[in-house]
Amino acid sequence: MLNHAIDIAFGLLGLAVVFTLIRLALGPDMLDRVLALDTLYVNSAAMLVLYGLELGTGRYYEAALLIAMLGFVTTVVLSKYITRGDVIE
Amino acid sequence: MEALFAIAIGTLTSCAVYLLLRARTFPVLLGLTLLSYAVNLFLFASGRLVVASAPLTDQGIEHFPDPLPQALVLTAIVIGFGMTALLVVLALRAIHATGGDHVDGGER
Amino acid sequence: MLLSIVILIPLLGAWLPTALSRALGVDPARTAAALAATSLALILSQAPDVLAGATLVSGWSWIPTAGLNATFRLDGFGLLFALLILGIGLLVILYARYYLSPEESKERFYGLLLLFMGAMLGVVLAENLLLLVTFWELTSLSSFLLIGFWRHDADARRGARLALMVTGAGGLALLAGVLLIGHVVGSFELSRVLAAGPVIKAHPLYETMLVLVLLGAFTKSAQFPFHFWLPHAMAAPTPVSAYLHSATMVKAGIFLLGRLFPAFAGTETWFYIVSGVGLTTQLFAAYVALFRHDLKGLLAYSTVSHLGLITLLFGFGTPAGAVAAVFHTINHAVFKASLFMAAGIVDHETGTRDMRRLSGLARFMPWTAALATIAAGAMAGVPLLNGFLSKEMFFAETLQVQWLGSRYWVLPLAATLASVFTVAYSTRFVHDVFFGPPPQGLARVPHEPPRWMKVPVEILVGLCLLVGLLPALIVDPLLRAAGGAVLQGPLPEYSLALWHGFNLPVLMSGVALTGGAIIYFARRYYFGLHGYRQQRYDGRTLAEGLVALAVAGSRRLVDGVANASLQRYVLLLLLATLGVGLVGARGLSLAPIAALTPPDALAVALTAALAIAAIAATALHTQRLLALVLIGVVGLVVSLVFVRFSAPDLALTQLLVEIVTVLLLLLALYFMPAESPRESSRFRRVRDTMVAVAVGLGAGLLAWALLTRPFSTIAWYYLEHAKPQGGGYNVVNVILVDFRGFDTLGEITVLGIAAVAILALLQELRLVAPQRDWDGRPWAVERHPLMLRVLARPLLPLALLVSVYLFLRGHNAPGGGFIAGLVTGTAILLQYVAYGSDWARERLPWNYSTAIALGLLLATATGLASWAFGAPFLTSTFGYLHWPVVGEFELASAMVFDLGIYVVVVGVVMVIVGRLGALSGSGGRGT
Repeated sequence: MLNHAIDIAFGLLGLAVVFTLIRLALGPDMLDRVLALDTLYVNSAAMLVLYGLELGTGRYYEAALLIAMLGFVTTVVLSKYITRGDVIE
Repeated sequence: MEALFAIAIGTLTSCAVYLLLRARTFPVLLGLTLLSYAVNLFLFASGRLVVASAPLTDQGIEHFPDPLPQALVLTAIVIGFGMTALLVVLALRAIHATGGDHVDGGER
Repeated sequence: MLLSIVILIPLLGAWLPTALSRALGVDPARTAAALAATSLALILSQAPDVLAGATLVSGWSWIPTAGLNATFRLDGFGLLFALLILGIGLLVILYARYYLSPEESKERFYGLLLLFMGAMLGVVLAENLLLLVTFWELTSLSSFLLIGFWRHDADARRGARLALMVTGAGGLALLAGVLLIGHVVGSFELSRVLAAGPVIKAHPLYETMLVLVLLGAFTKSAQFPFHFWLPHAMAAPTPVSAYLHSATMVKAGIFLLGRLFPAFAGTETWFYIVSGVGLTTQLFAAYVALFRHDLKGLLAYSTVSHLGLITLLFGFGTPAGAVAAVFHTINHAVFKASLFMAAGIVDHETGTRDMRRLSGLARFMPWTAALATIAAGAMAGVPLLNGFLSKEMFFAETLQVQWLGSRYWVLPLAATLASVFTVAYSTRFVHDVFFGPPPQGLARVPHEPPRWMKVPVEILVGLCLLVGLLPALIVDPLLRAAGGAVLQGPLPEYSLALWHGFNLPVLMSGVALTGGAIIYFARRYYFGLHGYRQQRYDGRTLAEGLVALAVAGSRRLVDGVANASLQRYVLLLLLATLGVGLVGARGLSLAPIAALTPPDALAVALTAALAIAAIAATALHTQRLLALVLIGVVGLVVSLVFVRFSAPDLALTQLLVEIVTVLLLLLALYFMPAESPRESSRFRRVRDTMVAVAVGLGAGLLAWALLTRPFSTIAWYYLEHAKPQGGGYNVVNVILVDFRGFDTLGEITVLGIAAVAILALLQELRLVAPQRDWDGRPWAVERHPLMLRVLARPLLPLALLVSVYLFLRGHNAPGGGFIAGLVTGTAILLQYVAYGSDWARERLPWNYSTAIALGLLLATATGLASWAFGAPFLTSTFGYLHWPVVGEFELASAMVFDLGIYVVVVGVVMVIVGRLGALSGSGGRGT
């Protein structure tokens, strides 16, 4: 049962990644692309958790944790660059 | 799987090399970043591809990945960061000195 | 042992004349003499054994795998040369004390002289051929310094350079020859090499080895056509000329011929090359010497000529010839050194060495005149003097040569002719200078030199007489021992008697003496013929022309390749790599040998994402921000790849480095144009694409070949021992901090150095910050958005907690110093971004460059601490501790090392990004 759920979740996540990548490619604005990257980070974190569930191990949760905690830093600095140019003032 | 990995390394290298040959410092920096990905993956590949495991011996898993290339690549990633940083600063210094971001320190 | 001391006394004592003169005011000549005398006494203490026929070999192995041993050897031949070097050296030390003027640096002179003496002793006492070559080059170097002793003199500098060039090049040839000998014989030890004569002579490489070794010997001994450096070396102070360029250094080539005589001599090739060169040199130089007007120039060519004679004798390849060569070596050293000293006295007293200006000096300095006349007589081969005896032997030998068959008369005839010239220039040396009318227009009235300046000449001339009159008593034991050592076998029958009855050699001597006298007294006619050709016999023009040509050629090559364009360099580098790869890949099959793993959907998706993002970043690279975002995607996918292929530590590291790198590149991008101009020509883009595809193809195929080959690994060792020996389950971390801890120490040191270099580069860096963004819009007003500040603040303690967690469990689960350090660094950086660097620095007032140093110290100290327990550097230990709440807790010394890593990584991240961020800080301060 769980296996099927995981497979379906993987499929949905894959679809999400594809859509994000399309947004990344099409834009139209730089802000859309930054958001796409952010979404990609979130999707990755979800995929890592899912992968851990599939293998029945908690070894990859640290990576998910780090993405959750610090993955948005990339988004922050990119946004800061777009609005202010200077990331560290 | 091996073929896919080789394709990934080859593609990364190609893109990196093309960027390295550009005339502006920023693409060259991007190229170096890509190249270090490629090199790290290549070094990593020397330990062969092992799926769904980890170099941890606390649970008696049957098949292990080779930990030695992993240790090598770990420091390589960090040192790669140091190298990129040094080149970034060099590029800024070049802008300061020449007023432009051409790799040869001036327009040709 | 003793022999190495003999060499080391002058070599290491070379600084003593200066030191003692400065500290205690000791006359540097005395210091030098004392050192030389000590070495001489040590050598003499071994002389009885050696004269009795013993060969003393001692030493120890140095780099045995390279065949290089510090072994020394004292046999009769070595003893003879050591005595010449030290004996004549002592006399030269005494002589130079009066020759050098008070304002010249005697300390430097004697220091260099001792250096040379040690190097020369090393050449003649070495048992190992590589050691011999080393000392050989050292004589070239010290000779260079001595010739250029008068640094202000352009001629001296040029002469020194020329000498170094010729003898140095010869030394390289000799090294190549010696390496071949070692290859053929299997050892560089002389004892083995000398015993392997038949092997060497029968080897297909014999000619090559012979030519290479002879190049070394001929350049050093100024044999035609390499003779031209010696006359120019006469720009040296006269004691140097007397010592190096007549008695000892130029004899090193002769020494080499004698030393390797048993290994190489006796073949037809040897005869034609060695005696051909010797004969040419002897004849040519004797002829040229006659027409030199400079006293030292005449003596220089005469030296070349006599060295040619000795070379010719060795070239015969017969035992008797070798003995005659050794004998003439002794005699030549004695009379030529005294002649140089006499020339120096004349120069010293009259201020000129030009024979056209000198005349009739005998009435001012009768004693010097008498000494010089006797020495010149020895040089000319006048009976009752030492030169006569060896010359007779030489003539006798020329009559014995078998190789020339029916043209046997060539050698005796040429030898007589050369002797005619020898007699002529010897007569000229004496007659032009000391006889005839009183000199005109000299700067001062000459008189006898100081007493002690003449003593060395007197001793040497006395030796000429004693050897000439009582050869059997004075020189025979030494000659016997030296000859025996050269031949490494029984000595031929020879007699040192003064008179062997009226025979052909005596007739040849008579012809030479008469003919020489006739030529000299008919000199007006000949000089008229040759006056205008004086400067044509000069190889210096050729040598310097060659150098100029080489310099011009290299410059053209460098200008062609190195046009200061990075693009060109990178392209050349890549093409060269491709070329090497193509050569290496010849015959490589791409068929998989090892079993393959089947692909799955996830791997396909990851590869596709990676490739698409990378290609898009490359294609869109002119839009820099977009390209950077795409690179961020690539980095994210790479870390997912690491997860997929079982490397959680790598995934974490990659993820964090990716974040910091994006930040770093954005900081740089702020000061750069937002877009790259499309300036590359179409041709260049196509070319670069082709190169990129080719290189990428190569890299991919290499990866494919690597992945499909059978795999053998030493991983099991680490996997098995990580827990029992390193105390950790996370094998990657145990390798980093324990098994390969020394590597890691090196790596964090490199990181620290990079940070220091960045600090240095950032100093006083001022950059203009753009006022508007790439679309010309003004920047947003809000500097530090509220949302970000609220979010960033609580993140820091959380991130620090996660760091501690990752650090502590790093030994057993993914984590460790590198990763924890990156987490901490990223979290602090976020404060910088959210609040500005001034605010953040105020609240986190740490000096991060000090942190790097402290971290390195900590890591090193952990390594050193294991010394205290008698264990090797960086040995780790661990134990278990029971903590009240936490429970069983493991404590490993490697953790302290890991802590050092942590501190260094935090420091490096903060120094690099923090300082870079401060570059544009309030008001663009560049601190």
